[in-house]
Amino acid sequence: MDGANGEEFAAGCILAIKTTLGDEFEGQIITYDRPSNILVLQEGTTKPGARRNLRLLKANYIKDFTLLGRGEDPLDPKKCFIDLAAIQAREDAAMRQAEIEAERIGVGVTAEAQSIFDALSKTLPVRWDKTVIVVMNEVRVCSPYLPDNVSGGTPAANERVKKVLEFERKRLQARSPGQF
Amino acid sequence: MNVQQAVAPRSSANGFSRRRVDRETGARMDNRTHSGKPSSANFGNSGKIIQVLLVVPPLPSSNKLLITGLTNGSKIGGVAGPSRDRLIYVLTYLVGQHVEVLVKNGSIISGIFHSANADKDFGIVLKMAQVNKDGSIRGQKPINDIVKRPQTMIIPSRELVQIFAKEASLSSDELMNGHSREKRKDLLIDSVISHSHQVEVERELERWTPDEDDPACPELENIFDRTWNRNWDQFETNETLFGVKSTFNEELYTTKLERGPQMRELEIEASRIAREIEGEETHDPHLAEERGINFHENFDLDEESRYSAVQREVDDGRYEENEGSLLDACNAEACGGSSGSVVSRSYSDVLSKKINNEASKKVNSEAQTSSTFPSVDEDSHILADKDIHVSGSTDHATQPTSNSPAERSSFMDDENRLDKKKTKDQDVEKSLLNECTDRVASEQAQTSKSEDVHPSVHVKGLPPGATTYDPSSSVPGNKCPADDTSDSAISGKLSSASETANPSLRPGSSTSSTSECVGAGSVSGGPGLSPSSSVGSLSSEKSTLNPNAKEFKLNPNAKSFMPSASLRPHTPVDGSFYYASNMPAVPHMHGIPVGVGIGPSFGAQQPVVYNPQAAPLQSPQAYIHPNGPLYGQQMILGQPRPVYYMPTYPPVSSVFSPLILTAISVSF
Repeated sequence: MDGANGEEFAAGCILAIKTTLGDEFEGQIITYDRPSNILVLQEGTTKPGARRNLRLLKANYIKDFTLLGRGEDPLDPKKCFIDLAAIQAREDAAMRQAEIEAERIGVGVTAEAQSIFDALSKTLPVRWDKTVIVVMNEVRVCSPYLPDNVSGGTPAANERVKKVLEFERKRLQARSPGQF
Repeated sequence: MNVQQAVAPRSSANGFSRRRVDRETGARMDNRTHSGKPSSANFGNSGKIIQVLLVVPPLPSSNKLLITGLTNGSKIGGVAGPSRDRLIYVLTYLVGQHVEVLVKNGSIISGIFHSANADKDFGIVLKMAQVNKDGSIRGQKPINDIVKRPQTMIIPSRELVQIFAKEASLSSDELMNGHSREKRKDLLIDSVISHSHQVEVERELERWTPDEDDPACPELENIFDRTWNRNWDQFETNETLFGVKSTFNEELYTTKLERGPQMRELEIEASRIAREIEGEETHDPHLAEERGINFHENFDLDEESRYSAVQREVDDGRYEENEGSLLDACNAEACGGSSGSVVSRSYSDVLSKKINNEASKKVNSEAQTSSTFPSVDEDSHILADKDIHVSGSTDHATQPTSNSPAERSSFMDDENRLDKKKTKDQDVEKSLLNECTDRVASEQAQTSKSEDVHPSVHVKGLPPGATTYDPSSSVPGNKCPADDTSDSAISGKLSSASETANPSLRPGSSTSSTSECVGAGSVSGGPGLSPSSSVGSLSSEKSTLNPNAKEFKLNPNAKSFMPSASLRPHTPVDGSFYYASNMPAVPHMHGIPVGVGIGPSFGAQQPVVYNPQAAPLQSPQAYIHPNGPLYGQQMILGQPRPVYYMPTYPPVSSVFSPLILTAISVSF
């Protein structure tokens, strides 16, 4: 970005930006780093303490921007402390969470299968075994995950899984006609 | 400064595959990696996408690098400045947060922000990253898109367009609180439990459009625009659709409006009165709000106190004025007959009870139904009838007229009561139901007795009184000496009205006269009520004072009461007990000297008036404050009462006054 823009990118200014990719948003400048050409914006309500969205945008993708106003610097240089331990902990927690969720995702299964899995998981304990959905550790549902593919387990459990599967399929169908 | 590169190429497969590798990055890493892992550059030479198996070094070290980066930020590489510092700060802050990264080809990759290469050009590393939206394929995902497991991804700087972190606030407070939030994250919340984010997103929503021009949907936007001109009559519709006929007759619920030639004048009069009432100054913030008066007094009234909380203050000035002036107007029997609400038209109740039960019922119903003070009805009746029958459609003094002459004669006998009631009836807001003043009653009785001739005078007095709305205007025949405030003037008017009504009763009873009498009361009641309307509103506020209690006058001769050992602890007044005191309780209380409960010590002796004639006595409506002096209640019997006393809440010292009791009994 040329220098002229840099002057306008003072901290606290509120801009409305259009990107070359077609996104539009407004935000308040936190900082602009010229060497890396990254503009850091914060969006959201002006209420202090409210959680706001943060955007780091490469300035060369800005197609167009308008200066909406000048606010005060959202960052108080004296107050910017980072508790690294807290950040670390946060990351660990996020990782843990993500891993748990990752477990739910079957590797190499279709999106349809995944949605069936998700739907089943709402009421039944399910897990993936490669591409087979294992319900309650006894009933297996293999591709293409039709009621006929339900096998194993006690007859009662089998029946139950079948019913749930049918129901979920119907619901998915109703929800997204044409996709399933 | 070396921000943790988080990349250490490794050839062994560990289940992760990398999307791309920036060769440059890799090289840099070779040179400067501080990570504990080996760093063999394994990637190819071309700048293209290379699948490189990388492993992310353990986190703590990345932390250290970040810290180093932070502290060294300003010193290294000639790239100085606060802006760079801020950037580093932001990036550090983002570690561990879910971010969405927009890359050059339009794809969005979401993952957990792990680190960034702040040294060079800010390539970033995302963990557990997934391509959410593949930019290369415009439109929806193909059905058989294979679901991939999340991986750690490195996004080189040149691909990077935007990093978007949702709900990441930068204030330091947030960060301090972040830890607590972290802890909270471990708590299960509903959305976590239900994994709602995993449920497939519902279909694309479309705006609803009506099918064809559905005739059943008339212009939806306009239907409520003009309520008076809706072109749709629900009653008609009901009738045609369901055969349901409406039997609504307005006059069942309100007094009949006499639409006649004088209608216009009456309307004007009514609206004038309405305007007066509404324009009154009030201290009640609720009223002020309603009337649109800007209640400037307390601007720190919050929404709650403005709109929902019950006002509990007592406007002392007004209230006491009420108390004083209304005492006279109080009618003991009226009190008895009055319904629970202090402000209600207990007058009518009272009067009716005294005179005739049936009549009272009529009156009561009327009272309840037609309660508009400055009603057109009143005015119309007043002006229309020039004779004694001041017709009014409102309730109040109906009973007398409804009575047969015989009753009326008896009524006249009990003129004390009647007058009191009438006065009271008209002084609705100021219903001090329990106490009536004998003095006033007697005076009025005399007045009414002797002034048969005066009805016309009174009548004349009324319309002017009605129209001028001048509380202070003296109405002929005002015989309420005790009233010296505007209230008294009103009650004076009212009494005169009642007096008027009295004679009017004699000539003949007809329903019309009934209503007329009522009107009489109401006429004066109309304007008279204006000032008291605010009072009424005042009393409608919750007040801790007992509006029905009499003023207390200390009896110097009273013997001081020494509680005996056997004195029962104070029991709260049993309202029901008291109310039922008329008959059953009376014999009950025989032994007790006229049950004047003085203060709590007399709790056991419920204030039952020892009154053999108490048959029609009603105490029910009297509001008995459980802890208040109980003696007030005794007085209800409508006997001329010389005793006045104020409800004193600082408990009266136990003064047992046999003299008072005797006075009471004497008065029976």
